[in-house]
Amino acid sequence: MRRIVSRLFSSLLLLWAVFTLTFLLTRFAPGNPFSQGRHLPPEVMANLMSVYHLDRPLLVQYLLTLRQTLEGDLGVSYKATGIPVSEILSQTLPVSLSLGFAALCLSLFLGLLGGILIGVGPPALSRTLRWATTLLVGLPSFLLAAVLIDLLALHGGFFPVALWEGWRSAVLPVLALAVAPAGYLARVFAASMEETLESPFYRTAVAKGVGAGRRIFFHLVLPSLNAVLSLLGPLAAAFLTGSFVVETVFAIPGMGRVFVLSVMNRDYPLIMGTTLVYTVFLTVAILVGDLLSEAVDPRVRSV
Amino acid sequence: MSQGGGVRRLSSRGGVVPFLLLLALVLLAILPESLTGIDPLSQHARLVLAPPLTSGHPLGCDFLGRDLWSRLVSGSLVSLTVGVSVGILSTVIGGVWGILSGFLGRPWDPVMMRTLEIWYALPEILIATLLMLVLGHGLLAVVVALSIGGWMGVARVLRAETLRLREAVFMDAARSSGVSPLRLVFRHFLPNVMPVVFVMVLFRIPGGILGESTLSFLGLGLAPPQASWGVLVNEGWKALPVSAFMLIWPAAFIVLSLVSFQILADRLGRRFGVGR
Repeated sequence: MRRIVSRLFSSLLLLWAVFTLTFLLTRFAPGNPFSQGRHLPPEVMANLMSVYHLDRPLLVQYLLTLRQTLEGDLGVSYKATGIPVSEILSQTLPVSLSLGFAALCLSLFLGLLGGILIGVGPPALSRTLRWATTLLVGLPSFLLAAVLIDLLALHGGFFPVALWEGWRSAVLPVLALAVAPAGYLARVFAASMEETLESPFYRTAVAKGVGAGRRIFFHLVLPSLNAVLSLLGPLAAAFLTGSFVVETVFAIPGMGRVFVLSVMNRDYPLIMGTTLVYTVFLTVAILVGDLLSEAVDPRVRSV
Repeated sequence: MSQGGGVRRLSSRGGVVPFLLLLALVLLAILPESLTGIDPLSQHARLVLAPPLTSGHPLGCDFLGRDLWSRLVSGSLVSLTVGVSVGILSTVIGGVWGILSGFLGRPWDPVMMRTLEIWYALPEILIATLLMLVLGHGLLAVVVALSIGGWMGVARVLRAETLRLREAVFMDAARSSGVSPLRLVFRHFLPNVMPVVFVMVLFRIPGGILGESTLSFLGLGLAPPQASWGVLVNEGWKALPVSAFMLIWPAAFIVLSLVSFQILADRLGRRFGVGR
């Protein structure tokens, strides 16, 4: 319990650090959020600056924004004039979450299956899969997405090229997002199983003559799962970065796309909102991963 | 996270091919103009989207009629430079942090490690993208942003290595024979971490290449007309409905270099006992 409280405390610290850093980065960025693509009369510009408090001293701006954020108000988008950031987030976050969740399930399935096949599969298959996972780690998601679109959408015509309408349009983005992390998972899981193979309790199980299916599942796969659980944080990070690319490529109206566009448009409140939501999401993923792996293997706790 | 025996065995014999591939890429990148003889920025309306094997343009031309082969060659120089620079700079940042943390011990070590853990939660590309807001879109900006985004893993490994070496017998021997602290660090400690530092640079290079190409692909990294593999993939991506070859060449270069660096780094890492 004390550990959880201390973890929550450091999560809050991270949120505050990210808030401050993002605030400083946006305020020190060259250029002006309202001067992109149009010329405004000086009076209008001055008016806009004062509406958004951008003409106040930096410290005042910081405290104002901090208080506003603490009250749960993320402000109003500069670009999509008048629309609250929280409204944009509440429309795009569910899309990204369902995309990410589907990709997580698929990559866990493929990763565990691949890991088991590498670990205890027939040698030829195991060798092929090892090579495949090495290649996958070197295959950026935008290239995979391009290959998928070219083969299955443009030429094959099996799936839509882009957008987010119905399950058919989700197949390619989920694949593009899930495959590389699955390769990584498979490698880690296979490595973890090879360690388990050399452990005394596994040798005991072999010596006792435990049946093959039971032995592989209970004595090999389950004890090796811990390595995968502790990867939940890095996996969440991978899906997040992947979502920037995949949502851009497939024109999916999710948060990754919003984040990339907000950076291009210098839309400060939107940058802040998306970054904070990402930080919360990542810390939760890491926390859940750690708690799960502690629940499975209490020895982790002492580390 | 230790690399398992399986992955180890995988690349134990495969070191020569990736090395030769990388050598070829580097040679390509540093011999640009003399090799292609075509200005990568000159445009020809007649050659717009000329297919590969058009006379004088072995890989074809892009949608502005620029020679793809010469763009690819000059882009290789940019991408490899970014990759190597990110490898070196992030290793320097992470190395200083990790070694200091390991050497200083309490009370600094826990604070520095906690800071690192907190920072580590954020993905490299997220940090780099935010930093690009301030740094602009130049080559140096991309290198700095990606290095600040991705030094944490290096710091962890080098701290562990520092802790290990600090307790090593030869360090005790040097200390007990009254060697000055400076000499202890520069003569006894640093030469012994150098192999690990070198491996970490190699580990980080593919990260830099991938990071650059991701940022440029999203339109957040290097700005055209400057060519890099990422910019070329971005352009090839836009041209995909018309023709695929503009995407295929830079994609092949990216995948080949990433996999080669990965295998070499794994191999060297194993030799010096550094996992990832």
